[in-house]
Amino acid sequence: MSDFEVLRTLSFGQYLPTGSILHRLDPRVRLTGVVLLALALMVNPGPAVGLLGIVLALGLLLLARVPLGHALRSLRPLLPLFAIVLALQMLFYPHRAALAAGSPLVWQWGPIVVSAASLVGALAMMLRMVAIVLLLTLLTGIADTTDLVHAVEGMLRPFQRLGLPAHELALVLAITMRFIPLLGRELERLMKAQAARGADFGRGRGNFLSRARRMLPLLIPLFLAALRRAEELALAIEARGYAGGRGRTCLVRLRMRPADFLALGIALALAALLVFLDRGG
Amino acid sequence: MEQALIEVHDLHYTYMRGTPLETTALCGVDFSVFAGEIVGVIGPTGSGKSTLLQHLNGLLRPQRGTVRVFGQDLSNPRVDLRAIRRRVALLFQNPEDQLFERYVADDVAFGPLNLGLPLEEVRARVRRAMEAAGLPPSFENRLTWALSAGERRRVALAGVLALEPEVLVLDEPLAGLDPRGRRELAALLRGWQRQERRAVVWASHSMEEIAGLADRVYVLAEGRVVLEGPTRQVFAQGEVLARWGLEVPAVTQMLVELARAGLPVRPTALTLEEALPLLEEVLR
Repeated sequence: MSDFEVLRTLSFGQYLPTGSILHRLDPRVRLTGVVLLALALMVNPGPAVGLLGIVLALGLLLLARVPLGHALRSLRPLLPLFAIVLALQMLFYPHRAALAAGSPLVWQWGPIVVSAASLVGALAMMLRMVAIVLLLTLLTGIADTTDLVHAVEGMLRPFQRLGLPAHELALVLAITMRFIPLLGRELERLMKAQAARGADFGRGRGNFLSRARRMLPLLIPLFLAALRRAEELALAIEARGYAGGRGRTCLVRLRMRPADFLALGIALALAALLVFLDRGG
Repeated sequence: MEQALIEVHDLHYTYMRGTPLETTALCGVDFSVFAGEIVGVIGPTGSGKSTLLQHLNGLLRPQRGTVRVFGQDLSNPRVDLRAIRRRVALLFQNPEDQLFERYVADDVAFGPLNLGLPLEEVRARVRRAMEAAGLPPSFENRLTWALSAGERRRVALAGVLALEPEVLVLDEPLAGLDPRGRRELAALLRGWQRQERRAVVWASHSMEEIAGLADRVYVLAEGRVVLEGPTRQVFAQGEVLARWGLEVPAVTQMLVELARAGLPVRPTALTLEEALPLLEEVLR
């Protein structure tokens, strides 16, 4: 282990300001559109849906001018998950029932049988996972945290009458998202600093407790730094006379234009297509 | 010519390589450290100082070019980096944030304990390191988070000195201290270096800080070495330095102006102590 670049491996979660058509949409549309498509993918389990979802996501990524290599890199953390899905599917799928229903036998070893239906199921699940991760990469690529916060605040605002603190919730979200890369960078620095003093985090010797103990030189300063940062932030907010959302005006007024309605309509239609595709068959 | 302890040749480094957010930090740096010298690394913020320093003990691996430390090429994946790190110690910028133990002595002992030294030796090293960092023995049982920032920085320094490295690499060691703290810490480091005769690499964005300390200086800007040589020679090139947003010490600047005004002074002094006799001569 020589690579301390914690953030480099996180491909999704990176905003890419390419200024494409998608970037110019209302942030609420960007958020809702992607979430709609992802939800549709979760609802319908067919394999064709996964495939179509991937094609759709790739098309949108191209439209957003996100480099495909970058998007595909975000899939790498999924690989171990795929192995688990495949193993679970092979172990717990009701193979005998499937075989009785006419699914061909793929492999047999003593009492263990694997039916084709189980593999098709696993494949469908993986395709959908790929499509959803690609969509998330798309969302973080076309919307930075400010956009997302505006979108959430804008969408929560109607519920303000019911006593929902829309602005405060949005602020909490904004601060949380802002802290993630900061803590990542801090962690990287601490890992290096302790490694310079001969600490060793990479190799997994010893039991859980002793490994956890080895993390203390990272965790303690990291928590202290986070707490200190939070305190400073609270003071800074206070010092600027912040008093919550009441009577506060926005620099960015969100207004839906015809293009936004059109995009939302397209997203809805595509989501509906995904939901109802090969349901009948 | 004697063998360099650390030799960097044509070093390139790019952060976030292979992502759309690539930023080049170093492009083609040559750098070396010889036994017993203080090497200054000066450059404006973002010039690649910290990136260079992190290559010297293998925290970063060269992407292109070579880094040889004590004759070992750090690009070779079989090099024992932990062995390198006990010979080349690095003190990060704002190191007071990396303390994690409850008591000062425990934190200073973290490095030596990681080396697997016997307990008696660890105790002796902690004592020596704390003394070298200007911490009286009574600090051993003080709580680390009850200390002032300046005291915590000394504890962090002691934690690195306790490794008893052959090369000490310091990244902006005086940043954020008040003038008195800066003077004291600089004197302590100087004293340690003189006594132990170890090599020190000292990075700073302040010419004033480096002026009275370094034997040789590298000036980094935009990932390249733009000037290098004995401190005095480098500081004599005020115009080149100014182009990179670096200012020669106020004293030197004043002598340069006096010489330009027609007074017979040689603008070679880097510190006030050196300037005084020169000025006396002129006034006489």
